[in-house]
Parts: sequence; C-alpha cells; structure tokens
Amino acid sequence: MPTTRAAPPSSHHPGSASAAGTGRPSGWRDRLYRFDMRYLPYLMIAPFFLLFGVFGLFPLLFNGVVALRNYRLDDPTLPYWAGVANFTRLLGDEDFWNALYNTFGIFLLSSVPQLLLALVVASLLNRKLRAQTWWRVGVLLPYVTPIVASTMVFSAFFSRSFGMANWLLAEVGIGGTGDAAIDWRADKPHAWIAIATMVNWKWIGYNALLYLAAMQSIPRDVYEASAIDGAGPWRQLWRITVPMIQPVIVFTVVLSTIGGLQLFTEPMLFDLNAQAATGGPNGEWQTIAQLIYKVGWKDLNLGYAAAMSWALFLIILLVTGLNILLTNRLSGGHR
Amino acid sequence: MRRSWTHWARAAAVGVVSLTMVAACSGRSTTDSGGGGGQVTLKINFWGDFGLQDLKTRYEADHPNVKIQLNSGEYNAQHEDLQKKLVAGSGAADIAAIDEGFMVQFRSQSDKFVNLLDKGAGSYESKYLPWKWKQSLSADGKTQIGLGTDVGGLAMCYRTDLFAAAGLPTGRDQVSALWPTWDRFIQVGQQYTGRTKKKFLDSGTNLFNPILGQQPVGFYDDQEQLRMEQGPKVAFDYTITAVQAGLSANLASFQADWDKGFTAGSFAVLACPAWMLGHIKDTAPGTQGKWDIAAVPGGGGNWGGSFLTIPKQGRHVDEAYQLLEWLVQPEQQIEIFKKVGNLPSQPALYADPAIADFKNPFFNDAPVGQIFPKMAQGLTPQYLGRKNGPTRVAVENVINRVQNKTLKPDAAWAEAVKEAEKARTS
Repeated sequence: MPTTRAAPPSSHHPGSASAAGTGRPSGWRDRLYRFDMRYLPYLMIAPFFLLFGVFGLFPLLFNGVVALRNYRLDDPTLPYWAGVANFTRLLGDEDFWNALYNTFGIFLLSSVPQLLLALVVASLLNRKLRAQTWWRVGVLLPYVTPIVASTMVFSAFFSRSFGMANWLLAEVGIGGTGDAAIDWRADKPHAWIAIATMVNWKWIGYNALLYLAAMQSIPRDVYEASAIDGAGPWRQLWRITVPMIQPVIVFTVVLSTIGGLQLFTEPMLFDLNAQAATGGPNGEWQTIAQLIYKVGWKDLNLGYAAAMSWALFLIILLVTGLNILLTNRLSGGHR
Repeated sequence: MRRSWTHWARAAAVGVVSLTMVAACSGRSTTDSGGGGGQVTLKINFWGDFGLQDLKTRYEADHPNVKIQLNSGEYNAQHEDLQKKLVAGSGAADIAAIDEGFMVQFRSQSDKFVNLLDKGAGSYESKYLPWKWKQSLSADGKTQIGLGTDVGGLAMCYRTDLFAAAGLPTGRDQVSALWPTWDRFIQVGQQYTGRTKKKFLDSGTNLFNPILGQQPVGFYDDQEQLRMEQGPKVAFDYTITAVQAGLSANLASFQADWDKGFTAGSFAVLACPAWMLGHIKDTAPGTQGKWDIAAVPGGGGNWGGSFLTIPKQGRHVDEAYQLLEWLVQPEQQIEIFKKVGNLPSQPALYADPAIADFKNPFFNDAPVGQIFPKMAQGLTPQYLGRKNGPTRVAVENVINRVQNKTLKPDAAWAEAVKEAEKARTS
C-alpha cells in the first residue's frame, strides 16, 4: 500500500508506534512538523485542483486550441489549422446573434423576476409562520425535481391543442381553443415566457432559501428600531434587509447569470423536434448553449462550436462583471 | 507525532484516491474483455428491441468462445454516443446499430468503420433492396460500412370510422384506388375537410418526406450539388397546397399533442411505416378495429430502418463480422420478424409464409406482410447528400412556420431555398 511506504517500519502497529517514536532523533520530528505546517494544507486542497485541472482547465484550454482548427467530422480533408476563421465567421453568423438575443431575452425574463420573487418569498418565510419547516422545505421542492422531468411536464403544459396553460388562460378569457389557441412555440415572446416560467419555477425556492439564511443573521433590533421610526414591511425589506444581505444577493446574481447564459435543457426539451436542436422552426428560442450543441453534434463542426464556446465564456465573464457592478450600486453597497 | 502521522496518511490517501480517479478516466481499463482460452466478448449497441435476445443465446451455444453483450439504449443517445466514441478513438461497441436517419452522418466518416467489402460482404449486394444497400455505402462506392437489418416500408394508415362519417369509402383497396397520385390525395383531403370541418393529415412534414423520397433526386445530386428546384420543389408545393387547404393538424410526430390526436381523431390519415403500427396500438388501444392500411400515393416509400456496423477501433473485428454475417442470414431475419415485427430488407424473404401471410388484427386484419414489402420494393434508390439531415430539418422548419402561420405561403419557397442553402454551408 503506497500510503504506508513513507512511514517508518515500526509504525505498522499503532500500539508500538508511540513507544518507538520516543527513541527517534528530534531532526526527523522537526522535519515532519515543518512539513505538516507548511505543505500539508496544499496537499489537502490538491485533489480539488487536480480534478479542476482535468475536468475544468484542460477542456477550457483544449477548447481554445480546437477553436483555431478546422475540425469537421464529416470533412477530414480540410487543412489542420483554421487560424481565426472560426471567430470571424462568428461575427457574421446571424444564427449566433439570434441565439445571443434569445439567451439574453430569456435570461432577463427569468433572472429578474426570479430574484425579486425569491426576495419576497424569503421575507415571508422569515416571519413567524405555522409549520415553518414545511414551508421552507416546500419552496425547495422544485429545485430537487430532476430538470428533465419537470421540463417535460412543462412542455406538455404549454402544448397548443391539449395543454393546461391554454386551458387555464381560456378560463380567464385569454386565447381560446381550436384555431384561437395560443401556439407557445410560434413566436419569441410566447416561447420566452414559457421557458422563463420553467426557470423561475425551479430556482425561486433555492434563491429564497439562500436569502432566508442571510436574513436570519440580521439582528432583530434593527427592525425594531426602524419599526419605531415608522417603517412598514416593504420599506424594511428595501432599506434594511436588502442592503444587509447584499453579499448573498451578489452571489445569487452571479450564479443566475452564469446559469441563465448557459441555459440548455429547458429550451432543448421545449422543442417538439428536440433532436434537431434548432430551438423552434425559426430559432425562436434557440440559446447559445443549444446552438453550440447543434453546430458541434448536428452540423459536426467541432472547431466552430469550440469558437462559440469561447465566445460564450467571454460573454459570461463580461456580463457577470457588469452585474456585480450594478448589483453593488443598486443594493446600496460601497465597494 | 501520532497526530501528524494520521494527518499525513489521510492526505496521502486523498491524493492516491484522486490520482486513481484521474488515472481511471485517462484510458481503457487494463482488464481484458475475456478470460483465457481466446474468450471474446462482443458488445452490440442498439435501441429499442432488435429481437436479439434468443439469437444471442443460440449463437453463444454454437460458439463457446464468444460472449455477446446486448446494450439497448435510447435512440438518439446511442447515435450520439457512437459519434463521440468515434472522435475519441476508443470505447465504441464491437457492433453498432445505426438508423437510416443517421446513416449519412456516419457514412461520411467511413474511414472509422470496417469496410465490410473487405470481409466479403459484396456477395450480399444482390440479396438486398438496392436502395438499402446504397444507403450505407460511402459516397465513392468503395466502402460499405453496414449491412441492413430492417426497413420501414411506407403505407397510409387511415381511420375507417372517420372516413365513413365523411362519406368516403372505407375498404383498403377502394381507398388505395382513391389516391393513386398525390394530387388525388389532396383532393380526397379537401373532400374530407369540407364535409367534416376536421383536419385530414397529422402534419405537413409527414407529407413532404414521403413525396420527396419518391423523387429521382432528393436534396442533393450525386455531385453533392443542392437541387432544390427539382425533387424538393415538387414535394414542397404539394405540402404547401395541403397546408393552405387546411388539411394539416400541424402536430409534430411523437409529441404529446400528436399522441392525443390518435385517440381524439385529430387527423384521419397518416404516413405509416411498418414500425408505426406498434406505436398506434400502444398510444390509442381504444381505436382497435377502427384503422386500416392503404397504399401510399405515388407507389412506394420508406421511413426508417437500421444497419449493423463494425467500428474499426474494436479489438475483435473478425469475430464481430462473423456474428454480423450470421445475424443477417434469412433464418435469423425471419425469426426477428416473428419476434418483434421488424421487416427484413432482403426481398427474397418477403415470399416466406411467415411474412407473406401475416395479418394485423388491430388494423382490421390488414395483410401487412403484403403491403409493406410492396411499398419498400417500389422505391428507387436516391442519393442522400452529406448535408441531407440538416437540410431536411431546415426545410421542415419552413413548413412548420407556414403551418403555425408565422410565414406567408407565397414567401415560403424562397425562404426554404435560403434555409437549405444555409444548412448546406453549416
């Protein structure tokens, strides 16, 4: 066993180890002690970086190399290197810009209501409620549901002819049946709303619990003092709670930005012909992640798909940075 | 001292474990696929039910040194997995099933498959339906990457009760006589829709594809030139005419609304390959006896069907070919048909009583063993270009936009040409 190889032979039996240890020269103990203090922490966190290197950093860099290549599975005759051709093609590709537009549209329709509603839900959960644990676990249920399962249910929910969404809307006088039924997959606004609904449903509870945890660390007396000064619950939420849980808000904004810009499963399974990965007959809701998948595995153009992935990576960095800046401003922080 | 030793041991243990994990991912495992004595394990990847369970037992009994591993997966996942393993250079099954719909994609990577012609598969060419043989042949005709198993054939399934309600004949021969051509088919649809105010067809795309399949030239000619103005134009015009006449229920195949359409009677006719019969029976068991099967207008067609291929990266390609050759022999193909109803792609077998006399009780005892072979044999081989798949999806999407009324019918053809051109260069 390699783990025991470095140990002195006498320490094989734990009982005798301490007895043998007393007779050892002190230089050895010193060295071991120094090793323990100086290097052990690095060794302990090494596995994470090792795994990150293999499954995170290496694919990222390799992707960069592939992006500079002609890597077409259906045409191996092309020259090996493509230079920046894949990137220049990206600039003029209307599919890419359409996907970018969709991604941002769905991202805004999902992230903004999602985080605002999560804040409201969290402040409701932060009050004294009956069956408190039940409510708190309840809001997390959508998060626990497998994403494919919930998306397929939503996909049926938003179907044109026999979908529940249309039935419910018809009850309140919107849309109708037959030819008047809303075709959720026919245009951008409807498709975006449908997909954003899926995202919101899944993540509101999760974000609410994060906010709730942060809110519980706010001292009660701050609220009491403000109540004496005449602040209502709404004012308290915006003037006290939000500034005081600001780091968590920034964290959720970053997470939902990354998640929102990488949206894949929902738009993919919302499509009636999911295998084509076109995101609707005219790319109504095709996101960038979906387009990357299509270009790579349907058009078999891995080099171009890699270039798109890198573009997405840069876009996410940019938007996340912007969002952190904005959130810090809006929630009254000073950094 | 003792404390530091346990720390150290723990750290080392964590390090070793993570290193092993990394090592496990970095290459093929060192254990060989069999024990001693030339033991060989052959893995077959496919989807659904290929009817191989009993054949596996029989083959293993006859070949004690061979173990067969049947690995059934999901249809799309299996093809995607194969594609990834081909790129990675290892890990593919010894025998991989490929569907017609993915054949062009893999055929264009024929260097990654064993050329079955080198193994003597050329002698089977005459036994196969000519278009089936050609589907898995590389563009230059020098590499055959797969041998066909089943074909779908194509007929029209129709609801006798809905036809009767619309005052149309219901007997399968009368109905076949009603629509010898697609023009006549659309006229029948107009009659039906006019009398019942209901939709006739499930979807425009399911009209487009069979018509295109009957044209001498599809999207691409054998020089890989896009030929939109010929075959595709014919099929597209029929489709748009039918959509404009309000015949299409605009239901995408294999989706919830489509499945409900079977029981709700949302459409009276659909293009129907042999394997669709099982789907209708499972989806709408309550419609037993209300269906029948007529000939497809234009006289021939096919939808779906599979091939068995041998990826070159396998370590037992000779044994794999032996098994593959055994599986496509008439005896085994008939047994598969009896078991799961997959129609063989070797026309000589259609005369076999097991197939020729087969009737389907769910469909009014329609002689499916006669209908589907006839349709499959009526099809002439068509060259499928390298970009056939993406081009078909692009044009289908244009049809869907006309169906959901986001695109004007008279602008549709120009849009279809534009989208097809985009798919060609994608």
